[in-house]
Amino acid sequence: MSRSLNMPGSRPPRTIWEAISPFRLIGELSETRYWMYLLLLPSALLITAVVLYPTVYGMQMSFREMRLNRPDLGNDWVLFKHYVRMINDPIFWVSLRNTAVWVTSSIVLEFLIGLIAALALNRDLPGTKLLAVLILLPYFLPNVVAGHMWALMLDPRMGVINDLLLKVGLLTEYKAWFADPTTAMAAAIIVEAWHSFPFFTLLIMAGLKGIPTDLYKAANIDGAGAFAQLRLITLPMLKTIIAAAVILRVIGLVNSPDLLLILTSGGPGRSTQVLSLYAFQMAYKDFNFGYAGALSVVMFVFLMLFAWAYVRLSKVNQE
Amino acid sequence: MATLSIKGVRKSYGSLEVLSNIDLELEDGGFLVLLGPSGCGKSTLLSIIAGLEPSSGGDVVIGGRTVNDVHPKDRNIAMVFQSYALYPTMSVQRNIGFGLEMRKVETAARESAVAGAAELLQISHLLERKPGQLSGGQRQRVAMGRAIVRQPDLFLFDEPLSNLDAKLRVEMRTEIKRLHDRLGTSVVYVTHDQVEAMTLGTKVAVMKGGVIQQLADPQTIYERPANMFVAGFIGSPTMNFLEGTLVQDGGGLVLKHAAGALVLTGIEQDVRSHIGRPVVAGIRPETMSAAGGASTLQGSVDVVEPTGPDTMVIVNVGGQMITARLGSRDRPKLGAEMTLAVDTAAVNLFDPESGNRIGGDV
Repeated sequence: MSRSLNMPGSRPPRTIWEAISPFRLIGELSETRYWMYLLLLPSALLITAVVLYPTVYGMQMSFREMRLNRPDLGNDWVLFKHYVRMINDPIFWVSLRNTAVWVTSSIVLEFLIGLIAALALNRDLPGTKLLAVLILLPYFLPNVVAGHMWALMLDPRMGVINDLLLKVGLLTEYKAWFADPTTAMAAAIIVEAWHSFPFFTLLIMAGLKGIPTDLYKAANIDGAGAFAQLRLITLPMLKTIIAAAVILRVIGLVNSPDLLLILTSGGPGRSTQVLSLYAFQMAYKDFNFGYAGALSVVMFVFLMLFAWAYVRLSKVNQE
Repeated sequence: MATLSIKGVRKSYGSLEVLSNIDLELEDGGFLVLLGPSGCGKSTLLSIIAGLEPSSGGDVVIGGRTVNDVHPKDRNIAMVFQSYALYPTMSVQRNIGFGLEMRKVETAARESAVAGAAELLQISHLLERKPGQLSGGQRQRVAMGRAIVRQPDLFLFDEPLSNLDAKLRVEMRTEIKRLHDRLGTSVVYVTHDQVEAMTLGTKVAVMKGGVIQQLADPQTIYERPANMFVAGFIGSPTMNFLEGTLVQDGGGLVLKHAAGALVLTGIEQDVRSHIGRPVVAGIRPETMSAAGGASTLQGSVDVVEPTGPDTMVIVNVGGQMITARLGSRDRPKLGAEMTLAVDTAAVNLFDPESGNRIGGDV
């Protein structure tokens, strides 16, 4: 070993103690090509423990029977049982459709409000610095707090929103927003957009700062109006940032059931039931961790596919 | 092609005045250089001409039309920016044709115009590329292509060469001059580089502190600077300023300075009002030689700097350092006493109090 690790120029050991000294061995090892793997080992172990193990554990769960309220069934391998059940589960399909509506509508709304706010705040007017901080406030609120706050404001009898709409004359009678299947999803989407549009504002504002003002001067001389400048200069220059923000928000929206859990719990009926909420309820209401795991794996795969396709598409456009 | 008149243009930010009462005239097809150090207001003036910044007063007249309230796109001007300001997400082809695209010019006409401009600037092979894939010099050409393709009345250049390396800068300078000769469009060109100003301009406006110090052709600016600022700003090495007193000696004028007297013959200025008073003599380094003569300066050699074609010799004349541009073979010894012959016909006399050239402009 010691011979094979011997590097040219290293002095042969003089005594037996020097030959077996750990410092000497480490010194010799550091001259070999194995050294870099040794240095990577701690972080590789950490990543395995923190990221890889839970992911794999979650996945294997979906192939097992795991019902905490039915210990008699054991926890044996059941292969694709849960997946087969999913295909025949109408609630799964409703949840999938609702997830698509929930995510798409929220993202579009958040992006539009975020973009408008960022463009407005990017103007060098007095007070914009303070406003830029104030506008971030909704995003600072925890989802749970924001959810309860809006639930109260949208409450059919005590809520301030019904009261205002009645006074303005837009409503003729109190409306129970979350009790009507036709308005529950829309109301939840508006709350979600209110809560998360500052995320887009923040990132787009950072992106806007990076666009040289000379481009707009040149565009002015070239005869491009405000809308043409937005379409042909600002948005293309923000493409990378927008792509990153959309991916992050989609992941967040697909994975977090908290806001819907507080506002509607998936109701009325199944009208606001989304996949994350379904998986959550499956695990913590029905204690069926096997099926919940299978639902999570499906979400995981959808998200991977989405991120891959999205990055690919936005890159193709760039070239 | 058009004339340009600036009439009493002012610009201030709050109480800070950056341009005060600017008057300029540029003839059709002329090349006006706005020259000055950083912060002199030259770029602000260009932005006002372009319409990118409003003035605080005065008129901008392009081709006989007052354009104070006209949008930049309707002034029929084109501008080349220091940063080039190429649209990074568009191809070179689209960058050059963008102005025409915005003006709803048909695709076929646009493409042929772009092709013509690209050929003129020798960038036809780059049309499909994005600005990020181009070198500095190529970007510069694309920016110029974008300017010329619309055939504007007036070109505005904002320090277009300052981001290029020294060699490329000289090449592109020649290119701009050739382009101007060929197209004949009026140009306003902002720079802090006196060589660009001297080589390109048919007219140079030297600016400082928001005020035009002198507006004249390059030759006049160089030979008859209106004041000591212009005299010192133009020329490298800079003009020598020798302080002394102007006296009448028999029929001629003499400048008495700390280390003797300089006989002034052939002075074109009317300096009678300053006889017996202190003056500053502006002497260009190249108007001195190592030979003897009637008008000479004596001093000890302080520094010798051979540059190849010339030798710069700094001579201590009674405590005032005088730089002379001598021939490459003139290599005086350090510390040696030296006599410099001065071509006094090229000497300018300034009033030390106001800094202005005595007797006014020629």
